[in-house]
Amino acid sequence: MLLGPLGVALAVFVAALVVVLLLQRAGAGVVRPTPSASERVPFTGGLPPQVHAWSRYHARYYVMALLFLAFDMEMVYMYPWAVVFVREGIIAMVEMAMFIAILLLGVLYAWRERALEWS
Amino acid sequence: MARASTRVVLRRLLGPLAGSAPSRVFLVGGLGMREAVRALRLRSELTVVDAPSAASIVIVAGVLPDQFSDPLALLHDGLPHPRAIIWWKPGTDGLALVERFPDVILVDGDELQLVASVVRVHRELFTGGRPSSPSVMADVGAAPWQGVGPYGQGGSGMTGGVPYGRPMAEVAPDRDGLRLDVLPVTVGPFFPPFPPGLRLDAKFAGDIVVDCAVPANPFTDVPHGAGRVRPGLDIFSRALFEPVPVAALELARARDHLTWLADALTAHGLPALGLRALRLAVHLRADDAPLVRRFIRSIEWTQVLQWSTRGVGRFGEDARESLRGCGPVARAAGLCDDVRSEDRAYEALGFAAIGQDAGDAAARWRQRLDEIAQSLDLAGRAGALQTELIGRVESPRGLLIAGSAPTRRLLPLIPGLINGVEWGDAVTSLVSLDLDLEEAALAERLPTTTAGAL
Repeated sequence: MLLGPLGVALAVFVAALVVVLLLQRAGAGVVRPTPSASERVPFTGGLPPQVHAWSRYHARYYVMALLFLAFDMEMVYMYPWAVVFVREGIIAMVEMAMFIAILLLGVLYAWRERALEWS
Repeated sequence: MARASTRVVLRRLLGPLAGSAPSRVFLVGGLGMREAVRALRLRSELTVVDAPSAASIVIVAGVLPDQFSDPLALLHDGLPHPRAIIWWKPGTDGLALVERFPDVILVDGDELQLVASVVRVHRELFTGGRPSSPSVMADVGAAPWQGVGPYGQGGSGMTGGVPYGRPMAEVAPDRDGLRLDVLPVTVGPFFPPFPPGLRLDAKFAGDIVVDCAVPANPFTDVPHGAGRVRPGLDIFSRALFEPVPVAALELARARDHLTWLADALTAHGLPALGLRALRLAVHLRADDAPLVRRFIRSIEWTQVLQWSTRGVGRFGEDARESLRGCGPVARAAGLCDDVRSEDRAYEALGFAAIGQDAGDAAARWRQRLDEIAQSLDLAGRAGALQTELIGRVESPRGLLIAGSAPTRRLLPLIPGLINGVEWGDAVTSLVSLDLDLEEAALAERLPTTTAGAL
């Protein structure tokens, strides 16, 4: 190898730098000056916005989190349960049914809170 | 210097490629030109876009009310450079608005000449033969930054003053018991899914419309608009004062419903089906019934439409009586009133009004699809029959009389229809109403006696 590993890295770095500078130059060639106030206005049909675009609204994460927990916990316990199910028999079945019933209450609560609806 | 030369090199390399691509245009239809503008969608040389930021040319057609001056200027400034504005058939009476745009290109010819001009202007814009149209609005912010300190700095609250020239949204209780922002947004008058001129002053909590108002019809403010009646509407306004051929009237009705269908399909994100509907509407003849039936069947199979319209935009029981005279909207809600039943010419054809029960957007779609087939059937059988009822006519949107049109009756019902629903459902509801502000303005200008016929 003529340059060695350090030399190759340096060459790549220099090549990348040249490309970046060229692109920057080309970009500066096509980019327009800063748009005017009226050019920056978002389009809602022809009239300017009345208020700032920073709007806080409720994304309703808590109900989504509830649903996630309900189904996630179910999976967390069902995997080890599946391993011991054959050995433990009907006891494991009943225990799992109780566990699922409790989780189902959470899902029903989420349903009542309209977590399953988009809006 | 280097910057300018890079620009020249890039323009030489890429300009001809961009210039030979279809022109991306944003359309604004003024009085009398709604149909002509809509037909431009069928031109392969043009790509019609839904936002000015995606367009390089804005085509304005016909006369616009003076109050659209600022919205149009803002729309024009929203186009990225290089851009141009073309005004098609401005007439001599609306020139004050036209003159606001120093670089406007006026075209008075037919559609072919317009398209030729658009293609030429587009090519010139991208090859450097024509300068980009400069901004029309002054380059000043909505309000200067103003905090509480001596240098405009600081203040209380999250942002300390008014951020970037606009106040923060007000807060109001939302359905989760919190106090969150209620965002006022004015939609229109050039919002593509809405009919031209419709403006909605809505307030949003998230994507839910919590409050809305519809300002007065802007087209009634156009004093010189009287002579500008678009061809599709002309026969219905003539039928108020003189007998007209039933076949022509029904064909115009089917064509109007098909153009509504074209707009509605495009608004629902099905532009290819919309173009098919528009092509059918533009070339419609009475013997096209089998073709139209096949097309309607393909729409009925589109499950997406069923999902997005079923149960949406249902009028409450209290609004039911207000729907009288609202044509397909009323008939879709079970009110089977149709002025055609009172006309002896229609009696001779065995006409019976058809209707639905559900009263939602899906029922209104169903109703118009059924009425297209019914109108084509009537047009095919009418022969030389002429209408006999004078002074009242069933337009594609409902009972049209001098002084009142169906759209005028529907506008006050809009807040009750869309308050509390998601924005997507609100648009679906409004699209399904087939509002026509131009027809409403025309009705108000019509003389109330038959003596003053058009």
